[in-house]
Amino acid sequence: MSKKWLLLSVILTAFLAACGNTQSNESDFSEVTEQSWSDIENAADGTTVRLFMWGGDEGINQYIDEWAAPRLKENYGITLERVPMETAEILQKLQTEKQAGKKDGTIDIIWLNGENFKNAKENELLAGSFVDMLPNFQEYYDTDDPAFQTDFGTATEGMEAPWGKVQFVFHYDQSKIETPPSSFEELKNWVEKNPGEFIYPNAEDFTGNAFLRHVLYAQDEQPSDIYEQPLDEEDISGTADKLWNYLNEMKPNLWRNGEHYPNTLTELDRLYSQGEVSMTMGYNEARAESLIDEGVFPETTRSFVMEPGSIGNTHFLSIPFNSPNSEGALTTINFMLSPEAQLAKLKPNYWGENTPISLDKLPKEMREKFESVERGESVLSQQKLEESFLPESEAGYVEWIQDQWFNEVVQQ
Amino acid sequence: MNVKKLIFILVALLLFVMPVLLLLLQSFSSPWRFQSGESFHFQLTSFQVLWPASNLWEATFWSVVVGAGVLLLNMVVGIAAGKALSTLSFKGKPLLEVLFLSPVLIPVLAVAMGLHLFMIQAGLADTVLGVILIHLVPTIPYSIRIFHNSYAQLGNRMLEQPIVLGAAPLQQLFTVELPLMKPAIRSVTFLTIVISLSQYAITSIIGGGRIVTLPMIFFPFLDTANTSVMAAFAVWFAMIPLAMYIIVEGLLLLLPYSRMPWRNTR
Repeated sequence: MSKKWLLLSVILTAFLAACGNTQSNESDFSEVTEQSWSDIENAADGTTVRLFMWGGDEGINQYIDEWAAPRLKENYGITLERVPMETAEILQKLQTEKQAGKKDGTIDIIWLNGENFKNAKENELLAGSFVDMLPNFQEYYDTDDPAFQTDFGTATEGMEAPWGKVQFVFHYDQSKIETPPSSFEELKNWVEKNPGEFIYPNAEDFTGNAFLRHVLYAQDEQPSDIYEQPLDEEDISGTADKLWNYLNEMKPNLWRNGEHYPNTLTELDRLYSQGEVSMTMGYNEARAESLIDEGVFPETTRSFVMEPGSIGNTHFLSIPFNSPNSEGALTTINFMLSPEAQLAKLKPNYWGENTPISLDKLPKEMREKFESVERGESVLSQQKLEESFLPESEAGYVEWIQDQWFNEVVQQ
Repeated sequence: MNVKKLIFILVALLLFVMPVLLLLLQSFSSPWRFQSGESFHFQLTSFQVLWPASNLWEATFWSVVVGAGVLLLNMVVGIAAGKALSTLSFKGKPLLEVLFLSPVLIPVLAVAMGLHLFMIQAGLADTVLGVILIHLVPTIPYSIRIFHNSYAQLGNRMLEQPIVLGAAPLQQLFTVELPLMKPAIRSVTFLTIVISLSQYAITSIIGGGRIVTLPMIFFPFLDTANTSVMAAFAVWFAMIPLAMYIIVEGLLLLLPYSRMPWRNTR
């Protein structure tokens, strides 16, 4: 009896092992990128491309499903499939697939930046350098722009293509506040005069952390001291003290006396939506538009930025190491970078997000189209945004602020 | 007796009916702001956001397929293991019972990471079968427990009766055991479907984006401040266990000795 079982289990194991080895031969990514562009586009015709991306915004989803997918089908014969998944989980999946030696994956394109890109690059989850071969990138983008060369301090080395850029802004209700504060000092004074009307999400939240980085920039004499240098705790200890002092002085006048911080930006948005607080904020200069449209934010919502400026970053599209269709992925990314696609992305009816394209490289007609887009009343002018632009600091600051904020502010 | 009934109705209204009604109202109205001076605004936009989402129907389909598969396997394994645990006595039975419960005690995500590696090698990753199998991890312990208790309640004498009368094992199952265990079947149905339907992380890891179930579309929307869309999603989400429950209830009627609701057999 037991011999029978042994035999069975041996057969089963062999069967499973055999399954594991039936992987199609991988097409080397560098071989793909050596082809001419027209060969790549031809090879992509009739294929399916799977784009894995965070799916929590209906405007973004519709831009992909309703605008981009039909045009890709028509112009290149590519079927674009959008798969909603958190970026961290995508990387987890790739990591396990790498470990298991799975050369034929399911993901062709991923959407990422910052910490996720750093992780992906360090663990060799990305296919390789490809940006320089994209015709649209060469033609319409400032290829030497430092915003494309580094991503939160990590060198991109052409492994990801700039898809969009966003800038941090604050939102306020015009019917409650006449003139918003213009510097962090004024913000503190305003909070003192209007206790309980302001709060920021806690430091573990993406937006809350970005708010704290703004305060850090503001406390330093030269914000460039922060973003041009990797984190050195001793170097910035003076600025850090000022940062914690600022926050602690503000704390008693925050919403609920600063005893509770919203865990997510969503919580803060709901407080703002219900009129509990008079300001909210977010890492996308145009995000209030759709929320006003849906009736979540009051129609009198406007945005503002403060001295010394507002932090912005670029987000990217990249190709994972085991993409089953890298030709299709390249063609799709090139299409996403095209002026037409970027223009549709800028218009507020779908996404309303800023473009990393260089306007002065566009043909005159196209440039005028870009310039004539009405982004909505709650969005600051392009000029104002550009004037106040500050680059992101190195990714290490994010974690440092997270740890320190808890010790220095919450536990005080 | 009447007072008790009244209290029950009041509590049920307050804790169950009211929240559901509120959710329904919210899904049909625009987001409401305190002191905004606006009154109730009837609208269907939240559902209009929902329905054209091309992957909603596909996701609903996969959720139902996965849920049905998980339910079927749970029934088979739960009944077999539950019967064995309650009727047989052998050495190390308590240990086995604890082992059966252990998947509930260990975080599923920790199990999923290891299983993902195995499933890639076995060719089960990115397939429906893989997703169904991984959903067994958080559901089966409960099923075994429920059927174990249920068999214990029936008692050995009831189980010996069909054997004495010469029924074959399957005949025993369908004519005696299943009809007597309807309450257990109902609990298992509801529990497994609800648990399987709410698995986000393990579905997305094992399903690899090939198998997109409802929570994968639904959960990212938890980040939206638009409470109406959230409410519409929640209403849609609740339809699936309800529909599956009704189907199972219909199947239960096919068992022998079932009283048809439309036939007055009194």
